[in-house]
Amino acid sequence: MILQGLMEVLQPMTILLVAIGTAVGIIFGSIPGLTATMAIVMFLPVTYSMSASEGISMLMALYIGGISGGLISAILLNIPGTPSSVATCFDGKPMADKGEAGKALGTGVVFSFLGTVVGIGLLVVLSPVLCDFALKFQAYEYCALAVFSLSMVIALTGHDMPKGLVSAVLGALLATVGLAPIDSKPRFTFGLYQLNNGFALVVLLIGLFAIAEVMAYAESVRKNQNFTIRGNVKLKGVGFTFKEFIGQLRNGIVSALIGVGIGILPGIGGGVSCMISYTVSKNTSKRRELYGTGIMDGVVASEAANNGTIGGAMIPLLALGIPGDAATAMLLGGLQIHNVAPGPLIYEKNGVVVYAIFFAMVLAAIFMMLFMLLGMRFFISVLKIPKNFLLPVVVVLCAIGAIGNANMLFDTYCMVAFGLMSYLMVKSKIPTVPMILGFILGPTFEQNLRRVSQLASSDPFWNHPIFCVLIIATVFVVIFSTRANLKDAKRAQEAELAEMKAAKQAGDDE
Amino acid sequence: MKNKQYKLDIIPGIVIALFSIGYMALIPSIKTFTGLGATPLTNHFVPYLWGGSLLVLGLWITARGFRKRKKYLEEGGTIVKTPLKDILMEKREVVASFISLTVYVGLMGLVGFAPMTALYVFVQIMILTPREKWKKIVVPAIITAVISGAALFYIFRYLLNVLLPVGILSVFGL
Repeated sequence: MILQGLMEVLQPMTILLVAIGTAVGIIFGSIPGLTATMAIVMFLPVTYSMSASEGISMLMALYIGGISGGLISAILLNIPGTPSSVATCFDGKPMADKGEAGKALGTGVVFSFLGTVVGIGLLVVLSPVLCDFALKFQAYEYCALAVFSLSMVIALTGHDMPKGLVSAVLGALLATVGLAPIDSKPRFTFGLYQLNNGFALVVLLIGLFAIAEVMAYAESVRKNQNFTIRGNVKLKGVGFTFKEFIGQLRNGIVSALIGVGIGILPGIGGGVSCMISYTVSKNTSKRRELYGTGIMDGVVASEAANNGTIGGAMIPLLALGIPGDAATAMLLGGLQIHNVAPGPLIYEKNGVVVYAIFFAMVLAAIFMMLFMLLGMRFFISVLKIPKNFLLPVVVVLCAIGAIGNANMLFDTYCMVAFGLMSYLMVKSKIPTVPMILGFILGPTFEQNLRRVSQLASSDPFWNHPIFCVLIIATVFVVIFSTRANLKDAKRAQEAELAEMKAAKQAGDDE
Repeated sequence: MKNKQYKLDIIPGIVIALFSIGYMALIPSIKTFTGLGATPLTNHFVPYLWGGSLLVLGLWITARGFRKRKKYLEEGGTIVKTPLKDILMEKREVVASFISLTVYVGLMGLVGFAPMTALYVFVQIMILTPREKWKKIVVPAIITAVISGAALFYIFRYLLNVLLPVGILSVFGL
């Protein structure tokens, strides 16, 4: 199977698709406002007529390119191309200001590659182990796993826990539309046959991320958005010495491992991993006072971590069908379209595709490094593409993606409705990522909860140690996250009050 | 505390609470299976669980918003009411984008993918461009719109076999 997977990826067509996917991903990642998720959304309809290995390899390449490309605008414009590159700005921009833009870009590219490779290595090692472990899962365990994953939402939401929970519950609620699990009775379909299968994940994601992004841009049309792009970047080789590379290796590997660890947790993406990794790197460094002034260490920590997240996020996706972030949720949609069912049996049922994914990821990482080192000037010039021309075409491609999902125009109506809902949620400061978790985990929870209700009398829960461990872990996550969130909320409230008092004082003085 | 912040709790909180009530009101009309092999928890249970949770959360957020509002007034803040018309005017590009997108998907089946795409792309480009630059971009916008409409239709319908609606182009035998 491993050899078959390798052969699938080494087909000239697949290599070409991975190369195109990586290049397009880098372009999407580098343009602020366009993300890896949008790149995957846009190219999903292109993969409909491809084989599973070709299509998913291309989507993986888009993902890797999309996450990596964010460093270009983070370093050159001080605007992260994707949320995953937020922490890259902290030292990348000061390095560019000091005339070391080439070194910063080279560092970012090489350590992005390192982070991706570490992530893939752990994905290859851990996902079969997790699959084997998950084979022991029955209704009790799946039910507890869904509850545990949903409890992570509380950890994610920061000081505004109720709004994060609203998002997750809304997602779970949307997933109740269609035929009910187990008894297949229609629910909330209003007599529309198009709703019998419920809302498609792909359509929800397109609405939540792509349409909302266009609306966010529409809001800023009248604001002055002029920014200067540093065009005189000199990139010789990789931009830094071998000695410097060796000096950063420990930092890079630790950051990549942090990225993988955070990627495994459901719902937490590269945006969080790069921040945590940057903080850990800073706090453990001997020269912590130099962080933020333009040193390699900061760029290494951020870029190795956000790319490590890719492999990490793929582990629960392949082994359990639970996505690590928005982009992997989109990949889940891609896998479903190509009839690949993630879960404990994925190696048995679709082993060739899984190994093809691994090899495609390695190939995409190599292409990413080569393209970004050799073609940096081209990617910098891409930053000049006017978004007012690009975004309408992206919307059209999203509409094609929605139609192609089940060959129904109805899905485009849903896409617009989800887009409007997402826009209103963003305006109300309700996060949208927990909604995806709720939407994916809701049906798993319901189906297994109802099975458990049937089994409870003959097979009590204490016969299921994994269930008990997961429920105890959930209780701990809920208690500790709630305490942390309440502290955050109190701090935010105090800051608000201080701000208000200062404003009032200033008014009185006047 | 900014005036707007309590509104970000009160309005969404009320909308969420009302939505959850409406959702739960529909649950009794769902048919349940009571035959052999029926589960003790019916297909009503989980919708009630989510609906009830959403109602509680909606009320929580609303109450929090009213608490913030009270505090704001106690601290001497004043409430400025912004008419809906002004809000819509302020967000006119967003409103126009949603209207154009709705018209695009609404008429796509009838008129066809290619013509509606060309029209939509042109309109959306104009919406996303500041008014003072319209004169300069109108020709490139038309070219982009026509090329993207025709090219995407051809590529996806004939090369990638996505069933895009033909609409009025069917008179040309497409």
